Amino acid sequence: MGLLHRRREPLNGESPDLSDARDEISRVRGELERAQSALDALPIGVVLVDPRGAVLSRNHSTRVGRGHSDVLVQEAIDRQVTQALAGRESSASIELFGPPKRVIQVKATPRNDGGALVIIEDISERARLDAVRTDFVANISHELKTPVGALAVLAEAVSEEDDLEVVHRLANKMVDEAHRAATSIDDLLELSRIELGGRAVREPVVVHDVLRSAVIRSLAAAEQRDIRIDLDEPEPALTVLGDRRQLVSAVSNLIDNAVKYSEQGAEVFVSAVIDGRHVGLRVEDRGVGIPTKDLDRVFERFYRVDRARSRDTGGTGLGLAIVRHVATNHEGDVQVTSIEGEGSTFTLRIPVAS
Amino acid sequence: MDSLRRTYHDELAQAKDELVRLAAVVTESIPRATAVLLDGDLEGADYIIRGDDEIDARALDLEEQCYQILALQAPVASELRQVVALMKMVAEVERSADLLCNICKAARRIYGHELDPKLRGIIARMGEQAQQLYDAAIESFVENDAAKAAAIDDMDSYLDGLQKQFVQAIFESHAGGRIDLQVAVQLAVVARFYERIGDHAVNIGERVRFVVTGWLPEHKGAARFRNRDLTGEIPRIPSASNSESSAGGGGPD
Repeated sequence: MGLLHRRREPLNGESPDLSDARDEISRVRGELERAQSALDALPIGVVLVDPRGAVLSRNHSTRVGRGHSDVLVQEAIDRQVTQALAGRESSASIELFGPPKRVIQVKATPRNDGGALVIIEDISERARLDAVRTDFVANISHELKTPVGALAVLAEAVSEEDDLEVVHRLANKMVDEAHRAATSIDDLLELSRIELGGRAVREPVVVHDVLRSAVIRSLAAAEQRDIRIDLDEPEPALTVLGDRRQLVSAVSNLIDNAVKYSEQGAEVFVSAVIDGRHVGLRVEDRGVGIPTKDLDRVFERFYRVDRARSRDTGGTGLGLAIVRHVATNHEGDVQVTSIEGEGSTFTLRIPVAS
Repeated sequence: MDSLRRTYHDELAQAKDELVRLAAVVTESIPRATAVLLDGDLEGADYIIRGDDEIDARALDLEEQCYQILALQAPVASELRQVVALMKMVAEVERSADLLCNICKAARRIYGHELDPKLRGIIARMGEQAQQLYDAAIESFVENDAAKAAAIDDMDSYLDGLQKQFVQAIFESHAGGRIDLQVAVQLAVVARFYERIGDHAVNIGERVRFVVTGWLPEHKGAARFRNRDLTGEIPRIPSASNSESSAGGGGPD
């Protein structure tokens, strides 16, 4: 084999120069492939166009689908390319209603050879976090300052009042407001305990027991509004891995919400469903429902769908944030589906104990 | 000759791309208009109403482009059907954009009025369904898929059902004193707008079927009419000036 190989070279008449050129080509090809795979690994889209606007190269992230949102993103890219080919650096953000809602940023820069480089970035998460941050400050100050402000005004009124009956009425209101502030602070502490507590205690917990305890906790509130809680009791052997106290607290929060947002005399359904390796603890109501635009945000701390109504329902705005943290601590998640006017279904998914 | 044909095919492809882009703008504007209505977003309403001028201008340009292809390239057979269908479809898309403007104008008129969760829920579902119809119509157009286009009609029945449900909910809300008559009328009109958007998507689907197979639903109605005409089933309306009545094509959409 060795002899044969040595003899082939002169027979083919291949010069050492040609062989070098071949090596060079394969080296360059390898480098190009490496560069392309590095580009493909980027989460942002990169497109290179020549001076006539023809695409020279594009990475995986720019491979758009056929949905209407993709057509609009492509249109935005084309517009920015036109600007860059005319020698102007340009950038645009487009907000797409989707679904899913997305914010895409397209930046185009002219290149020295007359072509253009386009960068496409999905900044939806950044935009969402910005909104969460801004709203959080506004919401927390609303939740904490409202009862404190009310207390100050009431105390002032009491100090100037001589009529005992009025003083008594004002004092009762002060107690209500103080309770309200205390509940908010309790919930905040509970939330930070869950957040800082690290991994939840992992022990087999009987689902049946969790649901029953949570229903019993919410019974008083439900009876007050003549709401029936219908518990579809799961089989006693069904267990999940987790922290019983946290799970009861989370399900109870979901039932409280269902009761609050249901009409008087309505029904709330509590059940457990097995979904692969998870058990879904499900709370379903036929209440007012949640507007689609708020569905992604209801788990944020102090987020309110209807701020005007929040004082009537008496919640702290932290219940669902607690539920989400319990879910995360248990390596599960919480899902919600809702139609306004028809009701909502919350499902807390927790890994099943094997 | 080759380069001439290439130019012609490029022109046809460009016209089709532009229709897809216009339809994408409409598809995207459906949930936007629904949000305007549900959240009382006056700024959003203004955005959609102003944006309609651009759609009008682009629709006119596209129509013009189709005339040029017809006049200069004289397409035949399936290509002729494509150009004719494009001209019809651009009108459907443009009209749908107008209907979205009308929804925004209605949102302005009912601004500040609280709506029942039930009404809000059905509005959200009508918006979603109308968008799905439009998405399906455009997909069938892009993929030249007559089967997908035929399925749009069934999807539209669901939207029609929602409209009826909505009208019933309006009556209930009005009877319960939760909305006044003016708002009730505006909402009924809004439901009609969504239903019409669905119909335009159905029409686009039918044009796709026409491009692919040469079939149009109107053919059924027209054949029925001609058949009745032959058997003398249709009583003629007596007319003093003209005893011949003209046979108009097209069935109900």
